[in-house]
Formats: sequence, C-alpha cells, structure tokens
Amino acid sequence: MKYVLKKVVQLVITLFLVSLITFAAFSVIPGDPARIMLGISATQSQVALLRTQLGLDHALVYQYFHWLSGACTGDLGTSVSLGDPVSSLIGQRLPVTLSLGLIALILTLLLSFPLGLISAQRPGKTLDHIISVISHSFASLPPFVLGLLLTFVLGFTFHLFAAGNYVPYQSDVFGFIGCLLVPSLAIAIPKIAMSVKFIRSSILVEKEKEYVRTAQSHGLTDREVLIRHIMPNALVPVLTMLAIITSDILGGSLIVEQTFNLPGLGRLLLQAISSRDFPLLEGIVLYLAALIVLVNFFMDIAYSRVDPRIRLQ
Amino acid sequence: MKRQTNTSPAFPRLTRMSKTIAALMTLVLSAGIMCSCTPGNNGQDATTAAKSIYGGDIVLGITQEPKIFDPHTAVAAGDKEILFNIFEGLVKCTSDGDFVPALATEYSISEDAMTYSFTIRQNVLFHSGESMTSDDVVYSLKRAAGLDTGTPLVAAFAGIASVEKSGADQVIVTLKSPDAELIPFFTTAIIPDDVEDIGKTPVGTGPFVFESYTSGQSVVLTKNAKYWQSDLPYLDKVTFKITADMDAAFIELKSGTIDIFPYLTNDKAQQITDKYNIVSGGTNMVQIFALNNAVEPFNNPLVREAMNYAVDRDTVITQITEGYGSRLVTGMSPAMGDYYDTSLDGSFAYNIEKAKDLLAQAGYPDGFTTSVTVPSNYVIHVNTAVVLAEQLKKVGITLDIKSVDWATWLSDVYTGRNFDSTVIALTSEYSPRDVLSRYVSTSESNFINFSDPSFDEIYAQIAVASDEAQRVELYHQLLAILVKDSASVYLQDPSNIVAVKKDLTGYVVYPIYVQDLSTVHYS
Repeated sequence: MKYVLKKVVQLVITLFLVSLITFAAFSVIPGDPARIMLGISATQSQVALLRTQLGLDHALVYQYFHWLSGACTGDLGTSVSLGDPVSSLIGQRLPVTLSLGLIALILTLLLSFPLGLISAQRPGKTLDHIISVISHSFASLPPFVLGLLLTFVLGFTFHLFAAGNYVPYQSDVFGFIGCLLVPSLAIAIPKIAMSVKFIRSSILVEKEKEYVRTAQSHGLTDREVLIRHIMPNALVPVLTMLAIITSDILGGSLIVEQTFNLPGLGRLLLQAISSRDFPLLEGIVLYLAALIVLVNFFMDIAYSRVDPRIRLQ
Repeated sequence: MKRQTNTSPAFPRLTRMSKTIAALMTLVLSAGIMCSCTPGNNGQDATTAAKSIYGGDIVLGITQEPKIFDPHTAVAAGDKEILFNIFEGLVKCTSDGDFVPALATEYSISEDAMTYSFTIRQNVLFHSGESMTSDDVVYSLKRAAGLDTGTPLVAAFAGIASVEKSGADQVIVTLKSPDAELIPFFTTAIIPDDVEDIGKTPVGTGPFVFESYTSGQSVVLTKNAKYWQSDLPYLDKVTFKITADMDAAFIELKSGTIDIFPYLTNDKAQQITDKYNIVSGGTNMVQIFALNNAVEPFNNPLVREAMNYAVDRDTVITQITEGYGSRLVTGMSPAMGDYYDTSLDGSFAYNIEKAKDLLAQAGYPDGFTTSVTVPSNYVIHVNTAVVLAEQLKKVGITLDIKSVDWATWLSDVYTGRNFDSTVIALTSEYSPRDVLSRYVSTSESNFINFSDPSFDEIYAQIAVASDEAQRVELYHQLLAILVKDSASVYLQDPSNIVAVKKDLTGYVVYPIYVQDLSTVHYS
C-alpha cells in the first residue's frame, strides 16, 4: 500500500514537471495559432478576431495556469485548432496508438523468445549464425524505413495489404487489427532483433553457472534444464530490457503512424505542434508521460513476481 | 494447416513449446494479412450496379487538416476547396474564370459603381430543408461585411455601407465609395439566418451536404438531392481523406485507395499512370522568389534587377514542375486572362553577363551572401530554393537555405517581415485587385516591403474607373511597374497536376483553389 502511494506521488510530480517543461519549450517557439488556421490570405483584423474568439489574446503564462488549474480537476481544456475537448480527441486516437504498441509488443514476445532459444541452444552453429546476421541487420533499421520497405514489398509487390487503408475499430474490429499488423511489424522487427540477441546472451551466461551442472547431474534432460532452471533466471535481465523496449515501441508507433497514415496519438501530437495548439499539446504529452510511468510501474511488479528476492519497497 | 508446414523448415530444432508458439504466431500473422487485404472498393460496385452515370462514392485525398467550416471566417485555401461544395454565393466562379449568377438570377451595377442590385433565385432549399429567402441573403452579407459587429469577416466587404431588401426578391448593396470590381467577392456564402453556429453545423445550398468531420481522418459529404441545378451532382458521397503528407498520399495512390488527388508533383504523377488519368491546369498561383525590399542588399533596385537576370526560370520550371508551369516575370498569372499583360513575357531573359554588370554597378562586383527562409512543409519551395542557390552561385551570390516550419514561417517571415528572401506561392481570389493589392506600400500583406508611389496612385484610380477597358489598361501599368522596379523574382504559375481514377470523368481544374465535385461522375 505504502509502495503504491509512493508511486502515485511520483507520478503526480513527474506529470507536473513534464507539463512545465512542455510549457517552457512551447513559449520559445514562434507561431500564432490563429494565423496558422487562416493562412496567408487573411488580414490582420481577421486574425485578431479569431484570436479573440479562441481566447488566445491572453499571455501564454495565463493560458498555462488556466490549463493547469483545469487539468487538476480532470479537465484538459479545448483544442484550439480542432475546437473539440482535448480528452475526447485523445480518447479517439489513443486506441489506435495503444493497439499498435500492444500488437508490436506481442509480436516481439512471440518471435524473439523462440528465436533467442534456438540461437542459444547451439551457439556457433549455422542456424545461430543465420539468426545473428539477420538480427544485426534488422536491429539498425529505424521503423519508418522498415515501414516503407514493408509497404513496397508486401503492399505493392505482393499485394498482400492495401497501404494507407485504415478501418475504424468501431466499424470492424478484425479489419482494424488487420490494418495495424504491417505497421506493428515495422515497429516490432528492430525490437525483435534486439531482444533475440539479448535473450541469447542472457541464456548463455546462465548456462555457464554451476546450478546447471548440478541439474544435469540429477539426470534432467537439456530441455528440462533450459525451461525449468535457465529460463527463470535469464528472465530477470530480459525484463529490464522489455521495460525499455515497451517505451521504445510507444515512441516507434508515434512515428509509424505518419508513414502508414494512421489516425493515432502520434499524428495528433505532430498536428498539435504544427498548429501551435497549446492545450492539445499539453494534454497529449501528459498522457504519454503517464503511460510511460505506468509501464515502468507494472514492470516493477513483474520483477518481484519473477524474482522473489526483489521486494517492492 | 498448410501454412504451418510452409514455415516449419525455418525452425528445425524447436522445442515443443516454441513450436506451438511459432504455429500460433504464423496463424496470427497470416490471418492478419488476409484481414488487411481489403483495399477500398469505393465506387467499384457503383459502376457495375448502376447503369446511369449517377451514383457512386469517391475518395479525394488532401494533405492538410481542415480547420474552419464557417464559410465567412475561413480564408485558408485548404478549407475553401472543401466548402466550395457545401456553400454557394450569389455568383459562382466557373472553370473559365467567369462569374455567373448562382443564388442570384441576375445582377446589375449602378453607373456610379456605388450600388449592386441582385435578384434572388426562387425555390432554392438549404440543406436543412428550409427555403432560401432574401432575408437569408441580407443576413449573410451583413454578417460577412461585419455591419453589426464592425469587423468585416470578408476583408473585401469593408467598403459596404448597407445591405437592404427591396421587394420580395431584390437585395440592394450600397457601398461607401465607388467600386466596380466587387462581383468576384459575391461568391461569399449565403447561409440561413437562424443557424446558431455555422462552423459546427455547416448548412448551405451547395451540391453536397456536410455529413461529418473526423479529425485526422476525413470530411464526408453526401449528395444534396434537392439541389437547385436538378441534374447535379452525380455522386452520392464524397470523402475528403486527410493524409499525413504527400508521401503517405502517394502510397495510397499506388495502392488505389484514393480516387482523386490534386496538387501532385509531376514525378509522382508519372508513376501512377496505369490507374489514373493526369489532368492539369493553371491555378492562378504566383510562385515568387520574394526579396525583402527593405533590407540590404535588396533595398537596391539594381541588385533586384541583377537577381532577375541571374535566375534561369525555364530551368527552374523544368526541374521543379517538370515543365508544367507558366513562366512569370511579374506578379500575376496568365490564368487571369485579359488582366495579364502578354507584352511583358519577354522581360528578364536569362543573362549572366548582364546580371554581373548590374551587380558591379550596384557595388557588389564579387557578389554577396544572403539567406532564403523556406517553409519546410512545402517541398516544392524548398526544392526551388536549392535550384536558385545553385544558379545564383554563378554570379557570386551565396544563398544560405534556412528551412523552418510553417508556423515559424508565418510569424517570422510573413507577419514579422524579418527575412532576407523566401520562396512561396501566393494564392488569391479570381480578382486582379486581390492579386495586386499586396504591393500597395501600406498594405499589411505587403510582406516584401515593396514601395512605389506611382503604383499606389494607379491602384487607387482603378476602384473609380467604371470602364472595363480602362481598368485592364491600368492593371497592365501596375504589372509593368513591378517589372520596372524588379519588385522580386517572379518564377512561375505552378500548374495543378491532378490524378483522377481512369473510370471517373468530369473533373475540371479551376483557376482558383477549389475542388468542384458536382460534375464528377463514373463513366
């Protein structure tokens, strides 16, 4: 209980600091939201009128504290450029980004564990070499490059999917998951490559330990030793890496949304920045920060489950 | 289970557990790929089902988020191109650049150019089902002119003194001072006088009815079955699909999920000719290499003239718009018809020696270093700046390219006028006045700080000249002044290249920034 309370306080402090930094960064970049909405053909008086309508005639500091006091009561304000409440805009986009990240994470787990195991089973053999070469080359590819590659190969050459096609989850859940698969693959592939290498080396380290020899001398088969003894011990460092990868995957999905034209949080974030939409930007940044903090919180709990020696304090 | 055996050679030494995982994974993957191979078949069924040319849906790709749906407040070109299908004014611009009566059946302008009289069309219905009356017209024009608030929403209406009903179907607009050229602005939308927030509920009289807007995804319009031009529109539904950028749109074009895509670059257009017809036309845009006339060295007219000779416009057009585009030497596009002066066409023939001489006269025999600030979201302008920098090197001018985001460009360059030079395309209404007003020395849109008293004087004469031929002559003089003073380096009117699916016909390119979908149909 005390542990949870401590984490909640940490979360609040983190979110406040993040909002303050966002405000500081926003206040130094030039740009007028009303002018951006109206473009270059508008006259000054038209721009001035819109500024008043949007409530932009107050200083940014005032806007920030106004927003902050609202945020404390759970009201994230109204988007300047889109005119809708920030929380409902985020609510529309969050499922896309979260699903994208979740599918990518599942793909990473499903593919990296078997591949890591195969590599570690017979290190130095042909299969291990093949996997390691492939991992090395994919680990260095950024998601947006992979996104384009996959689009060209799977979309244009083999016509396996329609690039840029988006199906809202409200109308067709399977279609929605379907159109997120290739984008999540683009995020997952570099992470899979990373994890495979990590899992492999983590198992190899454990394999050298003395308890393995003890287990073998008890007459256990190689497979039993690997699954029952090596895996649980190798999992602790792997979990640490997974925590990092999860945040990475979230970041990757923000970028990939642009390439695959998916209406997720990442595109909303870019739009908030390019239209200088302060309340929207603060709202999105807050959500993302909270997400990362939560991911880390759950990872902490996962540690204590995997390794009973670690206690939550 | 065939798929499983297909993939298993890749995992020869799997444990039983991971074999199950691998099988599961393969299933998930293949199922997903099958799920996702459902490309949009918009309209496909329409062509087979309907024998007539009526019906069907299309998807039109746009790259910017629509921002304002209030037709009087919206000024941005990207908003207006959508609203053109929902709202109409008393007159409408045709694809030839003529203004024909729309919600008015006829109009007349008084001899002294002080009053405009309109006869309002009868039996026109708003999308809400209500009839459009002269009260709605009076309300709309008053609102646009800001007669009740004091702030005009449509800038050109600042000169309107009153809007009144006369009889059942007449509306009389009286001006504060003579102006014979206001007709292009009566395209201003007529809206119902009882709608609280027109931006949230866009109700007009146009060929399409606003259905929904989902940010980041689309704007959906449906057919107005009670449109006053009873044979229009053809399509049942039009979706303006918002794509992240030109590259994302191109991927969709390659896979065929977009039916019409305007403002494409030619290199991309040439790669999709298997599925699309390529339509192009003048846009009445002016791509300008804008020189800030108020800063050194561009405050020296000789330097500006030298720049004009040092830039090889034909090469710019070949490299940037692959030959699609009309060469410009002055601040108006040939798409403006008679108002444009063809006798200026030969000016500023590419001549490096002359440019060097002029630079020497101006006191820069070895050239100079300056900067060009370009908006990074407009690839065409960034690329143009690169070509210009290369060309200017030959006369010793070093051009540092500064790429900034659109918001920064607007506040630093356009409103703040804090720049040396920039590349941008200027759009305007189909009105010569709107095109040239920015060069009046006191104009707030005169971001290049151009100043010539003779220009201001002639510009002021135009409003009071009631004779069309005389006005054309005065416009020609204004264009000549821009050339004589080398106001900036005008480059081209970059043609609008539009990709239209091969089974669609009736798409017309307008000399203004609009998409007219009322005439588009399946063949």
